[in-house]
Amino acid sequence: MAKNVLLVDDSSTMRKIISRSLRQAGLDFGEIYEAGDGQEALAMLEKEAIDIVLSDINMPNMNGIEFLREKANRPGIKDIPVFMISTETGEDIIGEAKSLGAIGALKKPFTPEKVNEVLGPLM
Amino acid sequence: MNSFAEINDKLIESTIEIFTGMVMMEVASAGDPLEKIGPLKKSITGMVGLAGTHKGVLAVHFPNEVALAVTSNFLGMEVGEINEDVQDAIGEIANMLGGNLKTILSDRGRDIQLSLPSTIFGDEYAFSSQAESEQVILPFQSPNGMFYVEVELER
Repeated sequence: MAKNVLLVDDSSTMRKIISRSLRQAGLDFGEIYEAGDGQEALAMLEKEAIDIVLSDINMPNMNGIEFLREKANRPGIKDIPVFMISTETGEDIIGEAKSLGAIGALKKPFTPEKVNEVLGPLM
Repeated sequence: MNSFAEINDKLIESTIEIFTGMVMMEVASAGDPLEKIGPLKKSITGMVGLAGTHKGVLAVHFPNEVALAVTSNFLGMEVGEINEDVQDAIGEIANMLGGNLKTILSDRGRDIQLSLPSTIFGDEYAFSSQAESEQVILPFQSPNGMFYVEVELER
């Protein structure tokens, strides 16, 4: 069954680009939900049937690392996989994200081909 | 630290990669780096700050007509005025360039912090450097005109 995706990024432009790239990559997915920061993402995860989260790191209010940490403490949503999409791809930050449960990372900028390569197996 | 010449080469590469891969617009480096540009007229600037082991700012300056074309391409829809979509798109380009600059300066990621992107725009404004910073301005040619990527790093 097609997976419902939550895009978490403070940039509305980037949410549109990721959404477009998922379509251009020919990936089979269900609904796309959007959140502008970690707090909004947590609320969305509690409310909607979301199968996978694609999240930025550098965001206002609650960044991607804080989001992962908070999500890990919420039993109802802690097992929903999170994949990071960010300009922040330093090994320390990605290492921390992975230690908090992130299943992978994609660096901005990216192409639809790269999206297909890294996210295809998850969809 | 890398020399400014190395930083320039990698930033040119990053800028072309961002525009080709995500904005879907062909751009090219347009000559030698500049030391300064005059007051920016009818333009928009996206910028991110760097703090930590390297302190400074990365800015990208677009004349309005170039910013509108870039945003239209980026979003895949026609944009006719400098609005929130344009500010968000230009801020995101600065954010991606800032992320690349951070990787160029340090590949580990914890010793430099990036600010959230911000934008300024107007009929005429100056973007001035601190006296104690090293500065470079890289000119680029797009199908709709020139734009500039500027880096200032504290000495």
